[in-house]
Amino acid sequence: MQFEKNHDGPIEHSLEIALEKIEGLLYDKYPLSRRAVGLLLLQEDHEIHEMVKESQPTIIDHIEKIISGVKAHYAYPIEYEIALRRRDEVERIINRVVKVAKEEAQGIAEKVSALMMNPIAGFPLLFLILYFGLYKFVGVFGAGTVVGYIEETYDSHLNPLLVKIFSSFIPWRIVQDLLVGEYGILTLGLRYAVALILPIVTFFFLVFSVIEDTGYLPRLAMLIDRTFKKIGLSGRAVIPMVLGFGCATMATLVTRTLPTKRERLIATMLLALAVPCSAQLGVILALLGGHPKAMVLWAGIIMMVFLFIGFLTAKVLPGERPSFYIEIPPLRMPHLGNIFTKTYVRVKWYFMEILPLFLLASVLIWLGKLTRLFDFLIFLFTKPVTMIGLPKEAAKAFLFGFFRRDYGAAGLYDLHKNGLLTGDQLLVACVALTLFLPCIAQFLMNLRQRGWKTGVGISLFTLFISFAIAFMVNLALNKLGISL
Amino acid sequence: MKQTRFEQRNNPLSSAVPENTEGTHDRPKKIVIIGNPNVGKSVLFNNLTNNYVTVSNYPGTSVEVTSGFADIKGERFEVIDTPGMYSLTPITEEERVGRKILIQGRPDIVLHVVDAKNLERMLAFTLQLIEAGLPVILVLNIMDEAQKEGIKIDFTLLEKLVAVPVVGTISTTKKGMDILKERIVGYAIRKKS
Repeated sequence: MQFEKNHDGPIEHSLEIALEKIEGLLYDKYPLSRRAVGLLLLQEDHEIHEMVKESQPTIIDHIEKIISGVKAHYAYPIEYEIALRRRDEVERIINRVVKVAKEEAQGIAEKVSALMMNPIAGFPLLFLILYFGLYKFVGVFGAGTVVGYIEETYDSHLNPLLVKIFSSFIPWRIVQDLLVGEYGILTLGLRYAVALILPIVTFFFLVFSVIEDTGYLPRLAMLIDRTFKKIGLSGRAVIPMVLGFGCATMATLVTRTLPTKRERLIATMLLALAVPCSAQLGVILALLGGHPKAMVLWAGIIMMVFLFIGFLTAKVLPGERPSFYIEIPPLRMPHLGNIFTKTYVRVKWYFMEILPLFLLASVLIWLGKLTRLFDFLIFLFTKPVTMIGLPKEAAKAFLFGFFRRDYGAAGLYDLHKNGLLTGDQLLVACVALTLFLPCIAQFLMNLRQRGWKTGVGISLFTLFISFAIAFMVNLALNKLGISL
Repeated sequence: MKQTRFEQRNNPLSSAVPENTEGTHDRPKKIVIIGNPNVGKSVLFNNLTNNYVTVSNYPGTSVEVTSGFADIKGERFEVIDTPGMYSLTPITEEERVGRKILIQGRPDIVLHVVDAKNLERMLAFTLQLIEAGLPVILVLNIMDEAQKEGIKIDFTLLEKLVAVPVVGTISTTKKGMDILKERIVGYAIRKKS
């Protein structure tokens, strides 16, 4: 790229001169040309700066001086100025090389594409996609029908067989419990991973691959960018957030695609707090199924918490607002082979990541029961649980909710079936449980991705928020005399 | 050859392999494939290497860099597929990985794969790569869709203007792969001399 020295006036002049000066200082041992190194230095690329500082420590001060001199000349960041010049250069080449014969071919696709990104049509469309793709297909069919069938088979055939085999071979009760007890590695850990998580995640990835293959995701990112900017994220965070509805643990892993530490932190926290995963969604929706009013309230409250906490964190955390621009690829008909390959690869990858965590959770539950730590923790939970107006039996559901969020929800389901919960209590319990600590797999992932201090911090924070919000909801329902 | 400070230091961007010209013909020549997401890099990679890898630009899978070997006209090449990249100035962690491979790896050939329909949006990166002195071959992929949209590209003129080889391909049907392979071998020889 050449910056014309004479045509565009004095400002142009200084950028080209500065570049030439820097080039003159650099030696030619770098893996990139001196001109490229110079340009990256002008754009204040940290890695390149460090590289030059290391290799030619004597000249770096001089270079820094040249750069700050140039910066004073420009209203916009140098990066922007350079991008502009490059675009002009590209345009010159394209005009000579590329000819477009006809343009009407893209009519319908273009219109659909515009609708997807237009807030008035886009949000209802998003709602439809979430409702049919996520709720109906993954939630009701996948997490409900299919999982129900597989779990039943597992429960009635495989588990009794396992229990029988291991009970006859292993005389020690403790080891039996660890392997095939109520929360055993084989009877609980493996069963959850294979009979529950695997089918749900397969269904989820199937939908996700279709959505991805059509080119909808970048359009969704554009649609949601403005809302996300308010909570310190950008359209880029759309993928982790959508994935969070499948499995928040996996979504946390994917936050590494976000550019700044600040965004990664905000996304991780919101995922831990206010994005219910598909396993949990299934049970909660079943719980609230008979109470449409409670369900609407639940969705409203969770959404408000999501936006409010996001907004607050964005205000509190230091750092710049993210910038976001994205390539919008054309809409395409999804390719069946592609979808199956993608789904297969992802399910395989995910299963390998998650299986050890589930087995570990089983061992931890076993230890917790063995050492009576669990009874103590349930005792600790009893107080806050009764404070938010729930029967003290719910404490157990909350503790197990940590080991698997939907298991906690399932515990509530039992209470509900036995007629121990009123409509109000049901709402309060569902709100608390959705916001409650992430499951142990997600907790371990948080520690791995964000470091143990942040990971533990996020957990304590969600614990506090979930009870605080539930407390307020309970209070409001009582004061207003609403009974659902 | 005199070792420079740059090579001795453990700098993250310096090459792991010192610039030792005698040693280079023993190791296979290195081809690095780069480009935006969704331009068919992985399929092209598969076509070159005949190894099965996933067709995906999804962060969880493509942040792990795939590499394999290609035998072209009796010569062995190491081929590396990188995560999606938009420019030489990285924004995401994955782009940072991509740039490191590009700079650290000292590739013998860089295949910049672009979507022929969106050449305008992707050419800036090509120019950046050429300017950086990297041995670029520009691959215009998805030519079938470009043709369907009535886009005509003057390859000879484009090649003259950017001064690097330009090849058109349809990676899904392997069209243009023969020519690409020829250019790779030709480019490798030309570079040597």
